[in-house]
Amino acid sequence: MMKLRKASSVLLCLTLATSLLAACGSSKEGEKAAEGGNTTEAAKDVKKEGFPIVSQPLTLKMMSQDAGQADWNKMPVLQEMEKLTGIKMEYQLAPVDSYETKKNLVFASGNLPDVFFAADLKPAEQVTYGTQGVLIPLDPYIDGGYAPNLKKVFDEHPEIRKSFTTPDGHMYALPYIDLSAVWYRGPMWYNGKFLKKLGMTELPKTTDELYTYLKRVKDEDANGNGKQDEVPLASVKLDDLRMYFLGFWGIYGEAYYADKDGKVHYTPQEEGYKGYLTFLNKLWKENLLDHETFSQTDEQKKAKGKNNQVALFSDYFPYFTLGGEPSEDNPLMTPVKSEVAGSPVYGKHPGISARGTFAITSSNPNPEATMRWVDYLYSYEGSTLFNQGPENLLWKFKNKDAKEKEWLPVPGGGDREEYKGTITPNYGILTPGINMSEVTKGLRSSFDDWIDKENQEKLVPIARSPFPNVYLTDAEQSEATALLSDLNTYVIQMEAKFVTGQEPLSNWDKYVAQLKKMGSDRIVELYQAAHDR
Amino acid sequence: MVSGVKETRRDKVFLICNYIYVFLAFIIVFYPVVYMLSASISDPKYVGSGEMWLLPKGITFEGYKRVFENSAIWTGYGNTILYTAIGTLVNLAVTLPAAYALSRKDFVGRNFFMGMFMVTMFFGGGLVPSYLLIKELGMVNSMWALIIPSAASIWNIIVSRTFFQSSIPKELQEAAQIDGCTNMRMFVKIILPLSTPIIAVMALFYGVGHWNSYFSAMIYLNDAAKYPLQLVLRQILVLQEMAAQGGGAMDMATASALNNKAEVAALMKYSVIIVATLPIIAVYPFLQRYFVQGVMIGSVKG
Repeated sequence: MMKLRKASSVLLCLTLATSLLAACGSSKEGEKAAEGGNTTEAAKDVKKEGFPIVSQPLTLKMMSQDAGQADWNKMPVLQEMEKLTGIKMEYQLAPVDSYETKKNLVFASGNLPDVFFAADLKPAEQVTYGTQGVLIPLDPYIDGGYAPNLKKVFDEHPEIRKSFTTPDGHMYALPYIDLSAVWYRGPMWYNGKFLKKLGMTELPKTTDELYTYLKRVKDEDANGNGKQDEVPLASVKLDDLRMYFLGFWGIYGEAYYADKDGKVHYTPQEEGYKGYLTFLNKLWKENLLDHETFSQTDEQKKAKGKNNQVALFSDYFPYFTLGGEPSEDNPLMTPVKSEVAGSPVYGKHPGISARGTFAITSSNPNPEATMRWVDYLYSYEGSTLFNQGPENLLWKFKNKDAKEKEWLPVPGGGDREEYKGTITPNYGILTPGINMSEVTKGLRSSFDDWIDKENQEKLVPIARSPFPNVYLTDAEQSEATALLSDLNTYVIQMEAKFVTGQEPLSNWDKYVAQLKKMGSDRIVELYQAAHDR
Repeated sequence: MVSGVKETRRDKVFLICNYIYVFLAFIIVFYPVVYMLSASISDPKYVGSGEMWLLPKGITFEGYKRVFENSAIWTGYGNTILYTAIGTLVNLAVTLPAAYALSRKDFVGRNFFMGMFMVTMFFGGGLVPSYLLIKELGMVNSMWALIIPSAASIWNIIVSRTFFQSSIPKELQEAAQIDGCTNMRMFVKIILPLSTPIIAVMALFYGVGHWNSYFSAMIYLNDAAKYPLQLVLRQILVLQEMAAQGGGAMDMATASALNNKAEVAALMKYSVIIVATLPIIAVYPFLQRYFVQGVMIGSVKG
């Protein structure tokens, strides 16, 4: 009897032990995953010209972000690419929103893919993982003839190459290149209906005229519904208008920028920044700047736009906020002149992405072939394939020699952009590649051309890139990151207080003194040094 | 109320206050539910601007239509049901025996094991080591990564242990032993049938947990076809935020794509939430009576 009891106690105890194991997760079992080693033998099989790139089938593990539109294995663009290059990609995808977490996990655990696509690698990450040897230098392969297209772009624009080379002289990631880019983020737009209603034949040219116009919107019932529900200037936490507005006071960037003479400035302690705060504070006091600015979401702002309440706002295209179809009735805001000499200015996009979009890891068995694979994306054909899909699916050639194309009807009807998302990975994520005007030749809408015209007229003449893409050394980077994270929190807080009047502008000197105490001058020093290198 | 006893004035005041209080509590709990329902069939324009605050405005079923057309949501639904069912079974198979063993005073090393369990309530390995462990165990990108690491919840083991200790008379177990019943048989034939309340409660606790969890799925799963519903839902909602932030280098196609997604998300958001919560709401009333019994007995008498 006792024995039996004991035996079953043991049994229960075993169950218990199992649950204990599960609970604290201390099992030492499990097989060690086989890791792929580095081989240079494979390079012999890689052709420097022509396709396919490899004669022996090659499979690579590619990590990327996924906008969740379609199964990558079934995307015609990627299937085409596999057929062309002979390289099969195994996709390891993370949804856009959790990619950052997964990327960090992968680096921390050493469970590396062979390739990062749409890699979103910050400069600091490129430096760190590059120095550690986790990411391999790409320049030997570019110069070694495995990237003819990229090499050509670099030779034509040496500054791109320079700005993506880390302090140790190597390049660990590739940028997305778009030399025609003008905006960093959505610019400001006027609601055309309001302009018409108030009889504005000319857009405001100075901050005073801007103020007068916004005031009129409020007082003269611009949307004609008999209620004073107009929101003259709409914003979400000021993030969307800050950079554009700072330009009115001669400032190019939100945090730091280099002026014409190459002198670096820390924006929040500049006199121009005070002008910006003063102006917004005036708008706030008269209820011309939306009083829900600091509490609303973008969705709420858009709802006001669709309700025809908003006069001036930021968005990528005006119809995103106002609703309806793309239309040329809502003009781009002309940057306005303030009391600062030489204003307005506009901080222009530098033409390359700040973050790396492509990288090769140390576990990649065949970097040569990988380099050739990605190089295709920097050619006219590759760019066309990835951006517009394969020929005769969404488009066909009208005149192949002139590279002129025309749209085909969307298969199965429906929205063209949405359909595009199911055939190519270049949808909603920033992928390696280059934007060439020939790619969209014949495919551009009149709206696209209008946007270009507005940019050329209003922004490009006064535009300059705020700061070249530079790398800090590891030590500098960690110092700058620490300083900036404290400074940013303080600056954002104070900006809101100054604008809403919680903190009177007479306290400006105290605020600047506090910034200096927190190391703002050190930031200037660090970036000045990096700028001058 | 017992008839015949006359209510005093004070009783009446108390009763009225009570009703008011309960009614307010009801409103607080009920309002979000109505809001969700209304929002799910309203035009996002009105929801965004705050014009829709109780009753639906600009009624549209477009959101539900989109949800029903979206295959990712249905695969997610299937996955969630599968993970919840298997996960809960594993949870019960681990929790109940462990709790019973720990409830027996004659179990040698009881305090030691309990102590070891308790340690895991306060200390964990952290994300990266856990990830490495799961990877070495070969469970990355499989449903076991969501089930095995969370197979036993110490909290639940303690609740069940207290239940076994307090609601199943020791005398019953002794009587069974005298009749020659083995421990195993006693557990299966006597203890379990007497423990339906706690089994139901545990199933509900664990089941809801599995149903709502997304974090381990986000970390361990790579294959979109394996995503549970909550992760799909999260993706839809978070993408909307991302579109709003914009920033960085974006080309025009990317911007239009994100804007497009944001608009769809605004439309679908509330309908997805309704569709995702409905099964739990539907199951709850049936388990609720056990819920009160099980937890109360387990906790109060312990």
